[in-house]
Amino acid sequence: MVRKEIAIISGKGGVGKTSLTASLASLAKKDPDLTSFILDCDVDAPNLALILPAENEKEINKQNTYTTLKAKLIEEDCIHCKQCIDENFCEFHALSWDEENDIPQIAYLACEGCGACKVLCPEHAFEIEAVKSGEIISYKTKLDPQLVYGETELGSTTSGKLVSESKEFAKNNKEYENTDLTIIDGPPGIGCPVIATVTGLDYIITICEPTPSGLHDVIRAIEVVQQFDIPFGIVINKADLESPFQEEFKEFINNTGYDVLGRIPFDLQIAHAMANAEAVVDYDPQSKASIAIKEIYKELKNSLLS
Amino acid sequence: MKNIPLITVTGGKGGTGKTLVAVNLATMLKNAGKKVLLVDGDVENPNTYLLLNGKLENKTPVNFFKPVINKEKCSKCGLCAENCATNAILHVKGQYPITFLNLCSGCKLCYKICPEDAIEEDTKILGWTYETTSNEIDLLIGELKPSEARSAGIVEVLLDKVDEILKNNEESYDIIVMDTAPGAHCDVELLLGKADMIIPVTEPTRFGELDLQRIIKLIDLLEKDFQVIVNRSSLLGFKEEFLNMLKEKDIEILGDIPLDDEIVKSYCQGVPLMEKKGGFDEEGEGYKAFLSIYENLEKWITNTIQNKSQRSAI
Repeated sequence: MVRKEIAIISGKGGVGKTSLTASLASLAKKDPDLTSFILDCDVDAPNLALILPAENEKEINKQNTYTTLKAKLIEEDCIHCKQCIDENFCEFHALSWDEENDIPQIAYLACEGCGACKVLCPEHAFEIEAVKSGEIISYKTKLDPQLVYGETELGSTTSGKLVSESKEFAKNNKEYENTDLTIIDGPPGIGCPVIATVTGLDYIITICEPTPSGLHDVIRAIEVVQQFDIPFGIVINKADLESPFQEEFKEFINNTGYDVLGRIPFDLQIAHAMANAEAVVDYDPQSKASIAIKEIYKELKNSLLS
Repeated sequence: MKNIPLITVTGGKGGTGKTLVAVNLATMLKNAGKKVLLVDGDVENPNTYLLLNGKLENKTPVNFFKPVINKEKCSKCGLCAENCATNAILHVKGQYPITFLNLCSGCKLCYKICPEDAIEEDTKILGWTYETTSNEIDLLIGELKPSEARSAGIVEVLLDKVDEILKNNEESYDIIVMDTAPGAHCDVELLLGKADMIIPVTEPTRFGELDLQRIIKLIDLLEKDFQVIVNRSSLLGFKEEFLNMLKEKDIEILGDIPLDDEIVKSYCQGVPLMEKKGGFDEEGEGYKAFLSIYENLEKWITNTIQNKSQRSAI
């Protein structure tokens, strides 16, 4: 098999990305046709590790990342000319004048580290430094494949960059070389972390549920995926949900002609599996949800091979 | 001066019921005769209007800086590309620079340093804001344009509008409720930073626990007041461990909401459960849960206003 990289995204949060990822990871592991690698790119809320803990706690590798850049004032070089304020060097409102000390002050959270102040200051009284933005954690899971995930330092405003860094880190992992299939648990939303996640991938699973907001949000996620021209398939979670919205939802699916990879029925075993920190396909392989997910895995493989 | 309390509803994890709670709190506040502004700060996926069966009206574009290279003036020196921190400008020796607009942070450094003034300031649309009224609740909504990355740019515009309202029309609203995106990134942080009171909505699962702990860490960093709502509180399995964790960490609970089909129904119909006209079962578990949450919320609001006026008196 030619190496393939896929991600599970949804637009809306809490519709089953991580539960599906964990089950697909487990099925891929048992699949004699391929070797797999797992990546969690939901750096704001990395939850996959709860279901895929390390085989050996001592062999968890943690590495700090410094993808966040911040401006810093070199006080002794400042000649108090106030040009930085008067000429509005900073477009992010991170610079203000500290009247008491007669120097500029930098609002840490607002600063984007763009370096405009550093370049524009005639005295070169600003510098840009890299600060800790998060951690990348990697280990061999109890299921065997390697898991890599990023976790942002709170307040570092760097989610997208940390996603890219985590993907890069995975690619440099020696286990990765022999991997056929990389499965990525994506972040919710459609913004910068999602864009960083889907960039360069071979296939996307967009998971959604048949509710007004579930549909609204997955349409927005699909719009992003289409901009990047990546093939995708839809998985409908809680597909049999009793909802007055079902008709409208079905109509949407029929009208667009989008590829539906599969439908997962509402099944409390998913919640029980999660409470037990297991993928549902391992917790109860004969459950309705597990049977549906196994079908989805088969369809996914077909889509990737075609 | 009137003290308008700002409540931000958040949660860390996706799908815990943030929007459901924000919309129903706004509805109950309205039922009590208060003038409410509901701000939808989940700009990647704004859903409040769907739950209120509202329409997106008064669309206003949010414009964002876009550098345009004037080839007549450009000397192909490459200074712009050299100084672009996000690699949004590429320069090959002897060629005109090329821009990659989705990487642009909008810092305008290229525009400011070009020795030939060959970079011109244009704008692109980053997204939109909407102002509408639904079920007697005023809605201020932000929406990020799909394929754009800088969602915080839209949130900043929403917060500027909120500031404007607080400054100019201080008599117009009694309370402001804001809904956030999942996660703990810059958008969420901005909306938390603005709040007087924060309500993280969570669920008694392992994922809920982990994400709640992260969002609380962020709230603590910002030194804000918070009380949690435990949604789907009838989900067993992990509940006991979850409640023990809340107790151990001394986390205040504003209330809990059990699983209830009426909630799903109201959600899909686009009528809030607590909307009187909706005709939902007032003896239902969900309905009673929201009433009890409101009772606690009222007390909390009164205290917050008192503290705010005390602070402004000093």
